[in-house]
Amino acid sequence: MAETPLQNPGTLNLTAKAKTIYAVLMFVGVITFLILLMNNPERAWHAYLTSFFYFVTLAVGGLFFTAIHHMTSAGWSVNIRRFSEAMTSFLPVAFVGAIALLLAGDYLYSWLNPEVVANDPLLQHKTPYLNRGFFWIRTIGFFGIWLYFAKILVGRSLEVDKTGDDKTTLSLLKPSVIFVLLFALSYSLFSVDTLMALEPHWFSTIFGVYCFGGMFQSTMAFMILTILYFMKNGQLKGYVDENHLHDLGKYMFAFTVFWAYIAFSQYMLIWYANLPEETIFFMPRSHGSWMWVSIGLLVGKFVIPFFALLPQWAKRTPVHLAAVSVWILIMQYVDMYWLVYPNLNHDEVVFNFSEVLIFAGFWGAFLFTTTRFLSKNSIVPTKDGRIHESMHHHVVY
Amino acid sequence: MDKLFTTLENLLRPKGKKGLAGIWEDDHKMVEAARKTREMGVKKFDAISPFPLHGIDEAMGIPRSWIPWVTFIFGLTGCAFGTWFTWWTSAVDWPLIIAGKPFWSLPAFVPIIFECTILFAALSSVGVMIGLCRMPTIDPHTIDPDLTCHKFAIFVPEDEPGFDQAKLESLFKENGATDVRQTEF
Repeated sequence: MAETPLQNPGTLNLTAKAKTIYAVLMFVGVITFLILLMNNPERAWHAYLTSFFYFVTLAVGGLFFTAIHHMTSAGWSVNIRRFSEAMTSFLPVAFVGAIALLLAGDYLYSWLNPEVVANDPLLQHKTPYLNRGFFWIRTIGFFGIWLYFAKILVGRSLEVDKTGDDKTTLSLLKPSVIFVLLFALSYSLFSVDTLMALEPHWFSTIFGVYCFGGMFQSTMAFMILTILYFMKNGQLKGYVDENHLHDLGKYMFAFTVFWAYIAFSQYMLIWYANLPEETIFFMPRSHGSWMWVSIGLLVGKFVIPFFALLPQWAKRTPVHLAAVSVWILIMQYVDMYWLVYPNLNHDEVVFNFSEVLIFAGFWGAFLFTTTRFLSKNSIVPTKDGRIHESMHHHVVY
Repeated sequence: MDKLFTTLENLLRPKGKKGLAGIWEDDHKMVEAARKTREMGVKKFDAISPFPLHGIDEAMGIPRSWIPWVTFIFGLTGCAFGTWFTWWTSAVDWPLIIAGKPFWSLPAFVPIIFECTILFAALSSVGVMIGLCRMPTIDPHTIDPDLTCHKFAIFVPEDEPGFDQAKLESLFKENGATDVRQTEF
């Protein structure tokens, strides 16, 4: 078969219009946050934590996807790797966000208050782990790990763009393996520290895995949307086609099921044992208006995407896949909201435009860093030694 | 007893079709030849390979399998069955109080319902696939023993519309077949 010479995919053309939109989003988000901070600081920080965790998850999810790509010496995903790498560019911003969260910890975490701890034997028992100093060290340590490995994995990948040296690509295997091991620990504990510790009496050993399920699901959704954008404007012609989408769609489907599996495992064991320390998490979430959010989460984050992604055509039809991806990104927010907000109000759902606008502000920052990365670097690592495998990627089933 | 074995044997022994087979040592050439055979107008023919070939479905014009529908429908059936069965056993036929939970406690039964879904879907898919492949068979016709190792073949039955001995022979040879033979499969 004769091959037509491929055009260089180039970089993202980051228009002034797009920049303005991101700036407006960020501005609106910051203003809303500040207004809410003056009127109801507790609620402001809960809204902040919801969005913050959401985007840290996306950024670390991008890094994790990059790492498993290198770890398995994958060939098929070379042409889409730059998009997962782009997501990691939010990490430095997230680090600044984490410092803000640490400073505002008293609005969120009761165990930071010595008076509360003094009257609570259970919390005293947990002080070796749940204390201010160690909380700071851990959080900064986690970001240190992520930033360091992002610098190695993404930095060397960009080097290959210039040199085309296969040795550099191969040298990423080892740090990827180390990262994946550290990732399991750091991301689990990060979710324990920031989300589970909102209710310090509660514990669930599967909680980190639960967050990881949603992470992979939403990371795939965001990557698919980015890829569809570039496919639509023609820059990926010859590089990425519906076969790559099919595989990403399968990932998204698999982790939809995985998330539900883990979520149910967590629920069933707690329901069965019926211990007060554990049911304390599900009590508010299964009463009043929160019950509807819980049911909505089950239907919206599992049942709908499950059936929507089940047929083969669903994973190969761009419009359909885009719709499901947007839906999953929304449901991921609902999930984060469901984890955080009952801590603010046990009895009723608290939600209005301020949560939406703060979320939009974070989107502005996230899209700004990701698109800036893609506008500076080639959107396909064209000099990667395994690129031919990705060019002829063919999915049968 | 002997009669039973004869009946069984007749049932399981495949009735071969006479036809023309081309044999290749290069899978890419074979896939190309399969494409050309289809373009020549032959609709139903067989390709034999020791391992799954990329692009052969598309080259032979094989439509997407309908087995996924069997999987899906039996999965739903299994789900419904599991739900009904756990309800009937635990809440109707033999109600037991366990840990003070209601007789009909969905969370406890979800694993069973889930397993029933998987069991029904998996067994039905495998069963239908075995049936479709006409397995098991006794003493099936073989074109060439090397086809299980390093060779590839295309077999066109004689009674297939569009079958043209001379044309097929030259098509196979032009596309790199190492051997073309009259055979039964």
